[in-house]
Amino acid sequence: MSIVRTEALTKVYGVASQPIYALNEVNLAVDEGEFLAIMGPSGSGKSTLLYLLGGLDRPTSGSVRLRESDISALDDDALSRLRRTSLGFVFQFFNLVPVLSARENVAMPLILDGVRRVDALKRADDALARVGLADRGAHRPSELSGGEQQRVALARALVAQPAVVLADEPTGNLDSRSSDEMVQVLRQTVDAWGQTLILVTHDPRVAAYADRIVFLKDGKIVDDNRLKGQGSAEQIREQLNIMALG
Amino acid sequence: MTAKTNSFGTKTWQMTLMALRYLSGRKLRTVLTTLAIVFGVALIFAMNLVLPGIIDAFNQSMASVTGADLTVTNVAGGSFDPGPVLERIQATDGVQAATGILFRQFTLPERDEGDVLGDLKEIELVGVDPATVNDVSRLVMHEGRFLEPGERGSAVISTSAAALAPRLQLGTDFSLVTASGLQTFTVVGLFTSDSVLAVPQFILTLPDAQAALDQPGLINAVEVLLKPGADRDDVAAAIERGLGDNFTPADNATLTALPAMDVAFAMFNLFGALALFLGAFLIFNTFRTVVIERRRDLGMLRAIGATRRQITQTILIEGAIQGVGGTLIGLLLGYGLAVGMLAAMEPIMHEFIAIDLEMHYSLSAFAIPMILGPAVVLAASYWPARSAGKMSPLEALRPVPLAGMRHAARWSVIAGGVCVVVAIALLVSGSSGAIAGALLFLVGMVIAAPGLVLPAARLFGPLVTLWFAREGDLSRGNVARQPGRAAITASTLMIGVATVVMMAALVNSMMGLASDLTRETFASDVLVVPQSVAVYNNVLGAGEGLAEQIRALPEVETVATLRPASTSTDGSPLAVLGIDPAVYAQVSSIQFIEGDADEAYAALRTGRNAIVTALAQKMLGLDVGDDFVMETAEGPQTYHVVAVAHDVLTFKTSSAVISQANLAADFHTSEDVMLMINLVPGADKTAALADVQAALAGYPQFTAHLSSEYGDDLIETSMGATRLFYFVAALILIPAGLGLLNTLTINVLERTREIGMVRAVGGSRSQVRRMVTGEALLLGIFGAAMGVLSGVAISYGVITAFSMIGWELPYTFPAAGIVAALVIGVLLALSAGILPARSAAKLDIIRALQYE
Ligand SMILES: Nc1ncnc2c1ncn2[C@@H]1O[C@H](COP(=O)(O)OP(=O)(O)OP(=O)(O)O)[C@@H](O)[C@H]1O
Ligand SMILES: [Mg+2]
Repeated sequence: MSIVRTEALTKVYGVASQPIYALNEVNLAVDEGEFLAIMGPSGSGKSTLLYLLGGLDRPTSGSVRLRESDISALDDDALSRLRRTSLGFVFQFFNLVPVLSARENVAMPLILDGVRRVDALKRADDALARVGLADRGAHRPSELSGGEQQRVALARALVAQPAVVLADEPTGNLDSRSSDEMVQVLRQTVDAWGQTLILVTHDPRVAAYADRIVFLKDGKIVDDNRLKGQGSAEQIREQLNIMALG
Repeated sequence: MTAKTNSFGTKTWQMTLMALRYLSGRKLRTVLTTLAIVFGVALIFAMNLVLPGIIDAFNQSMASVTGADLTVTNVAGGSFDPGPVLERIQATDGVQAATGILFRQFTLPERDEGDVLGDLKEIELVGVDPATVNDVSRLVMHEGRFLEPGERGSAVISTSAAALAPRLQLGTDFSLVTASGLQTFTVVGLFTSDSVLAVPQFILTLPDAQAALDQPGLINAVEVLLKPGADRDDVAAAIERGLGDNFTPADNATLTALPAMDVAFAMFNLFGALALFLGAFLIFNTFRTVVIERRRDLGMLRAIGATRRQITQTILIEGAIQGVGGTLIGLLLGYGLAVGMLAAMEPIMHEFIAIDLEMHYSLSAFAIPMILGPAVVLAASYWPARSAGKMSPLEALRPVPLAGMRHAARWSVIAGGVCVVVAIALLVSGSSGAIAGALLFLVGMVIAAPGLVLPAARLFGPLVTLWFAREGDLSRGNVARQPGRAAITASTLMIGVATVVMMAALVNSMMGLASDLTRETFASDVLVVPQSVAVYNNVLGAGEGLAEQIRALPEVETVATLRPASTSTDGSPLAVLGIDPAVYAQVSSIQFIEGDADEAYAALRTGRNAIVTALAQKMLGLDVGDDFVMETAEGPQTYHVVAVAHDVLTFKTSSAVISQANLAADFHTSEDVMLMINLVPGADKTAALADVQAALAGYPQFTAHLSSEYGDDLIETSMGATRLFYFVAALILIPAGLGLLNTLTINVLERTREIGMVRAVGGSRSQVRRMVTGEALLLGIFGAAMGVLSGVAISYGVITAFSMIGWELPYTFPAAGIVAALVIGVLLALSAGILPARSAAKLDIIRALQYE
């Protein structure tokens, strides 16, 4: 059964005379516990899709259903609540509040939801342990490496045990070693805890860890591969090249 | 849903924690913006500590002498014949008892050390009828006895008087200055005064007081005791009906100062308001920048589930922390400022209006800044906080488009323009709306500023390019890129510069007044003046005897005197001056603006005719040939305007000059407050002065001067006053400078990466420095230009307001002040630019490129 599903999801930017179809009637269903990678050339609508799935933006038409309820019908406060309880985000940049420590950053969604500070911090420590950063909780983001910062962001995305974690190029800024570490942690959350994970990436080596890869081009899904984690980076790179030519 | 208890506390605590971390993360800026609040609060607090003292000192408090329920006075404040009035009041329903009193507050002249009157300065002399006053009185005797009917030469004094003059005890004789020279009285009793702050009172029998104040047979108030259960308002209305419009019963609690005091208060408070304005701008600007700068953090918080309200709260909490902190420090600084201001003002005020200043620790002095400080910060941060809340998480994660900017700019110019037009209308209407007009002008400029940034950058840009040929265009682009921020920064500078222009205009006008005094006014040879020449209210003059005595001196040819009264016409205050039309022309160089001098003086001798001052003509719309009604002790009287004339010393206010005969008839006063003496041709001036001084022996309230020397003294005094004005102006410039520094610092921080880019493509350190300096210069010129415009408007408003409290200053266009203000504004901008320019130039290229 799918946990997230879109129906004819469309997002149009720009003025009526010159519409830019960032997403054009996208139908996508993601199963519970699935690790989905979204790939595609720059400007193909990957981020837009992720933002719509995460309730950060509203579709021009079509709908997004999270556990069968239409999130486009929610008002801003309800969406905010949904984001802090049922969704987790990891972005490429500016993930963390610089003036807060790592564990305070991780605890933030819980605190915003009204969980007592001590309890929230305890749960934050657990989440940090899950991403292998149990000992770095007291550090400020500026005292962490780029890879560590992204794992803190992942811990924060996981802390509220969300239905889906959405990550927009979480490794885009990392060197290959940190990138590998990050991807392994991501894969582990899916395998060990059954976390549903949707990830946008340009990197075939990252995408190779996914169960399934969706290719976007000009706001449309042009290919949908189920790899079951068995794909190779080479294969994916080839696929990208074919699409770029076609 | 396990541990959701206490959720409000945990969220707020977390937000507060975060706010504190953000604030301490940018220490310099936090300090700079907090300083703005500190200054605003300090100024307001200091003003509120010092101002009520000034107002009180000015205030001719009519408060009940004996603590009666109602006090009935003449609407013109004049004295009157007690007989019929007392009878009517006593016959009014609800009145238990009534007694007539004659009272007057005045300043004692300087005395020798060791005088029995000790440190007493301002006293209230009260004449009572011992037979009836006790029916109304609630005086509590402390020692000795009260006065007895028919008694002469005895006085009962308040304990507050005795506190200042410890040697004044039961049985002590003392000499008191009176309108007929020094008189000796004996203390027969002390009564307990309500408060140690009350003006010390000397109670005499009515005939003694009438002689001392040169008001034979007259009283100026009736004190009324109500029957138990009688309604105060009903009785007051009944009394008013019985006596007619000429008298007014006032609840003692509501008796207040002259209406002109409101203007004075408004004017002095202008400074505090300006300072707070500045503070609000700085805070607003900073928070707006903070929101833009932190939009990624805020967007992130929204993405992970923070609601709009929670985002708004985080910003507001930061504001609250700065507001409370700044206010507390401001209170401390304000206290110090008040002490300094008193020290600076004391000698000047003492010389001009012969009053003493004290700090007033009233509840409102604390409450006003303590509420205003945090409130202003919250108000100023509210809008940025709201806009932070409104930001969608995506706006925060992606670059912000600049749509709608032009549109908003046009509206700001239109709205600001409307304000300015209304302000100008208020200003030229010349009423008490002048201050409001001045403020509105400022507000209008502030509103219009964002829309003016682009045109100004275009207009002044070439000037900057002249100096910084290569970097000028970059500077201009940078200023124009953030019109809102540039506008606010320029607005802070504008206020500072406007203050300087205003001060310069005031000083200019005062100096103009002083030099007019020397050059034109003193047509007489010798002047006899009271302790204060600006305000006559608390001056005790002399009866006819003094002028007679001086006239009898062999060297003296003519003595002309000036007799004041105050009244109102059509609800507006009007000063009345009584002159002797036969001789006045010989001692005064009064300038006739309309009407013929000889005809006017001749007309004053017959019927109720008046010469009005130019100010009265302007403010009250009185022209030659008009009739107007003055409230007098004899009821409303119609006077006819025969001329408009101007004389800086005697005609400082909106005044009417009438004959001394009419003054005696309508206002029941013939008290001289100034004597102008002409000597026989060829007389030895020094010897004559000595003779006049000898004649003044019994009148310590007066001093005699050669007119020429007296003018020089006045100039000196005015010079002293100017120091204070410049001091306040300098204070206002400090936050303006901080605002510039703040904005330039923010601009540099925000463009760190860009500056790195400029350096990477070959820009030198000094070019970067010049780029920032050029930006500072452009902001400086823009702000100073707006400041000059508003400064002219404000100074016009303030000078109009000054004239309403009796200091008519000729408005002199402050050309030199404007040049000075422009220079100061630009220099301030340049010096505020030094640090940011240097830190921009010092940026490490690699670091700058990686900055975020
Ligand atoms: N706020 C916006 N206004 C106008 N057009 C936008 C806006 N946001 C995105 N677009 C356009 O929508 C299209 C899809 O953008 P999107 O950011 O989703 O692409 P992407 O696949 O994430 O690209 P990249 O790989 O570069 O991150 C692009 O053409 C982009 O220019
Ligand atoms: Mg993208």
